[in-house]
Amino acid sequence: MIAFTDIVGMDLAKQALMLLAVDPSLGGVVIPSAVGSGKSTLARAFADILPDGTPFIELPLNVTEDRLIGGVDLEATLATGQRVVQHGVLSKAHKGVLYVDSLSLLDSSAVSHVMDAMSRGAVIVEREGLSEVHPADFMLVGTYDPSDGEVRMGLLDRIGIIVPFATQNDYRARKKIVSTVLGTRDSEDTNDELRMLRGLIEAARVQLPNVSMTQEQIKGLIQTAISLGVEGNRVDIFTIRCAIASAALAQRTEVDDEDLKLAVKLVLVPRATRMPEREATEEEMQAPDEPPPQEEPADEAEDENAPPDESDADADEEQEETPDMIEELMMDAMETELPDNILNISLASKKKAKSGSRGEALNNRRGRFVRAQEGEMKSGKVALIPTLISAAPWQKNRKEEKAKKGIKTGALVINKEDVKIKKFRDKSGTLFIFMVDASGSMALNRMRQAKGAVASLLQNAYVHRDQVALISFRGKQAQVLLPPSQSVDRAKRELDVLPTGGGTPLASALITAWETAKQARTKGISQIMFVLITDGRGNIPLKAAYEPDAEKAPKEELEKEIEAIALTIQADGVASIVVDTQMNYLSRGEAPKLAQKLGGRYFYLPNAKAEQIVEAALS
Amino acid sequence: MTQTVKAAKKPSASKAAAPAKAKAAAPAKVKATPEAKAAPEAKKASSKKKSALAFPFTSIVGQEEMKLSLILNIIDPRIGGVLVMGHRGTGKSTTVRALAEVLPFIPRVKDDIYNRTVEQYVEMEAAGKKGVPAINPDEVKTEMIPVPVVDLPLGATEDRVCGTIDIEKALTSGVKAFEPGLLAQSNRGFLYIDEVNLLDDHLVDVLLDVAASGKNVVEREGISIRHPARFVLVGSGNPEEGELRPQLLDRFGLHARIITINDVAKRVQIVKLRREYDEDPEAFIKKVTREQQKLQKKIVAAQDLLPQVSMDDKVLTDIARLCMNLGIDGHRGELTITRTAHAYAAYKGQTQVTMQHVREIAGLCLRHRLRKDPLETVDAGEKIERELAKVLGEGEAAA
Repeated sequence: MIAFTDIVGMDLAKQALMLLAVDPSLGGVVIPSAVGSGKSTLARAFADILPDGTPFIELPLNVTEDRLIGGVDLEATLATGQRVVQHGVLSKAHKGVLYVDSLSLLDSSAVSHVMDAMSRGAVIVEREGLSEVHPADFMLVGTYDPSDGEVRMGLLDRIGIIVPFATQNDYRARKKIVSTVLGTRDSEDTNDELRMLRGLIEAARVQLPNVSMTQEQIKGLIQTAISLGVEGNRVDIFTIRCAIASAALAQRTEVDDEDLKLAVKLVLVPRATRMPEREATEEEMQAPDEPPPQEEPADEAEDENAPPDESDADADEEQEETPDMIEELMMDAMETELPDNILNISLASKKKAKSGSRGEALNNRRGRFVRAQEGEMKSGKVALIPTLISAAPWQKNRKEEKAKKGIKTGALVINKEDVKIKKFRDKSGTLFIFMVDASGSMALNRMRQAKGAVASLLQNAYVHRDQVALISFRGKQAQVLLPPSQSVDRAKRELDVLPTGGGTPLASALITAWETAKQARTKGISQIMFVLITDGRGNIPLKAAYEPDAEKAPKEELEKEIEAIALTIQADGVASIVVDTQMNYLSRGEAPKLAQKLGGRYFYLPNAKAEQIVEAALS
Repeated sequence: MTQTVKAAKKPSASKAAAPAKAKAAAPAKVKATPEAKAAPEAKKASSKKKSALAFPFTSIVGQEEMKLSLILNIIDPRIGGVLVMGHRGTGKSTTVRALAEVLPFIPRVKDDIYNRTVEQYVEMEAAGKKGVPAINPDEVKTEMIPVPVVDLPLGATEDRVCGTIDIEKALTSGVKAFEPGLLAQSNRGFLYIDEVNLLDDHLVDVLLDVAASGKNVVEREGISIRHPARFVLVGSGNPEEGELRPQLLDRFGLHARIITINDVAKRVQIVKLRREYDEDPEAFIKKVTREQQKLQKKIVAAQDLLPQVSMDDKVLTDIARLCMNLGIDGHRGELTITRTAHAYAAYKGQTQVTMQHVREIAGLCLRHRLRKDPLETVDAGEKIERELAKVLGEGEAAA
């Protein structure tokens, strides 16, 4: 295994892990990074810089619910005849590290449990006759490749540090990596470096309680969080802890500007929902949601028991001083923010990445264990406790009966009819991916109808557990406006502003939709339906996304591109419908052709209404 | 610390206290004293720990809607619970978990797993048991317990929620004994579900059923038991994680909305209190004991005053008209407003419900009952406020 100090590059990620080692109450570190960047090697090496004996537990993606939270230990229970408790992965990570590789692929029920444990610092087990509380206060370290999808926001909210997305290292660093892997480095050096680093962190831990921070610095961080539109108030605690840990690591007793910058960079910027430059316009749009700046006196009265707060007194001078400071902080932090342009995909690699056939919902094996029901042992996982429960009352009778017949019995006599199997929640619904042509003059109408259709589907989504995503395409490439979601609120927010006009990057839309579909599959959604609302005339090639002058392409090339993608999608088993919005006399039959290539159904709805689209999608 | 929770030490009852304690230990990153890892045998003893710490209710800055909703539900549990929906990291679960410390005490039959009153106990124990001599209510021992707050974790299975056969007893002695679940523990108390919008459908069905009838009926594994399960349902969640099933939404009396606080001074205050608390939780709690007691007394006073609160027919007419104008189906809207307004008046120490009281709580009562149009741009609160103004205007014009 490669040691922490031998890992080259990813300095920011290293720094983040060191801060976490200094102050575990930062909750955790998430490292988004492309494949092969060595992020998981680094995460595993984190154990090197922690005090000896700190648990380091890796959470496998296919973890079952009972392994995660804990439950009954089968073997021991059967052997002793007494209920023996087995602790879950979460509680095993208590006072240590829980590491998840490919965090964005962790299924949503597991994510919920991790979140719950992080919020309580404990796991509550209320299942299979158990009622227990296991402490589970851990640091979560997660790595993931953003092209696999994003990590659920609710989880990120409980993790202090999110390392800004980093692309690959430069060649010099790579050379060094290779030489390290080849073992050209001296192991003595490594040991010395590790020892030093550990000493540094140990010293920082001791220093931590002595670090102080001024009121102005705290205000500055809070104002930065607000101007970046970061949701929630929990983040304030994280920025402060991060700045303090950074100062402690440098053996200072006061937080300085560098610490603040680091905190903004690692805690706030990755959560920003808006850039400060655009603040004015955003503010206008969001105005109705925002509370008025004046505060009711009632609130102040409530805090009267707290030490006198000078905020009111120096509020005025504050106003003059902080904007500068914030601006500077922001700008500095922003420099490290890299564009999340990970859409440079070529068709060839896509084909290789093709996933398997449509999966069926395996409701006897995985998912959330809900209840036990009668069934055969072969047909699923045996639910031990319910099985024992149904066998228990008859033990005396059965033993006597068997004894009469001269059959020797073990501690328990379990008959076939006692067997209960676990029923898991079938979480499959359909994911409807809308692709809406936002180019050209008819775009506004199409967009409005698509929004209506999305909303209408979502309203009924609960019943079917359906999800909806919306991709719009215009200009040079397609854009995911609404990632797969069940939330009406979210759809409403994301779809509020929809720009229209420009070219028609149809190929890009299909690829983007397919990417979205593949991500959804890894999360257990097996049924996917593409709803394409367009006139079927793509005129922007895929490469336009990264080659600005590639906008013009010969018609044949464009057609070929679209055909290749469409056929691949069909072969992948994604169902599609194409809603043609072109007026009859203008149509040259592109949309029906596209539907054919996709192996999907074709609907001609020149004045498509939301309800008609929904009807078509559900039929 | 306001109250040192003295839960009964009988095994079954101490189990009941276990989740309640974990919940208290929850707030964010408090390094609560770690409980010793419960060995299998020590299972029942593991919850003996006296009382864990929770960030005090009165030190929670802002989020008045949520705090008021919870308090009104303590004053009158018939309001029907509260649903708290809003942004992440805004103190939803911290607030609910802080609730336990300001709750008043209630009497129950000593060591009773269902938290029954003497009347309930006598009635239930006598029914269906022929030959058992009637219980004399005067001979039943009682004790005072804090109103229970029970946490229902997402991963809970049905048997733990409803209760099931006690397997150990069944295996070792062949006795079919009932082991009560979370519903039994929450009788006459609060049942809290964090991330309620992610709760499994099946459990939602169970909850809806029990919430409607106030009784939990268990017919499984050869056990037939019915016991009272009347609780105030408190749910919280983030609407972006998923929608709530309409039937469940309708079941909640109040709907409090919670958003990120964007006022710097308030946030500085939050951070300050939080850091102070993290540094020394016990000292912090001690410092605010008086505040906490004051609130508790105020709540108890409101409870006592509630029966004397009255409301004019005219106010009732206005409420009915408001609900009609807003196109609210059914009568739960009116009922909830009426009860909530009574509780609110009592909380303010007044005995007469006015339209001003109604105005202040109407949003809480009706927000989730409006017909939902996902692309509606007008905020539900504004809509209610507008109709309210209309109703009041009409009322004045008529008078």
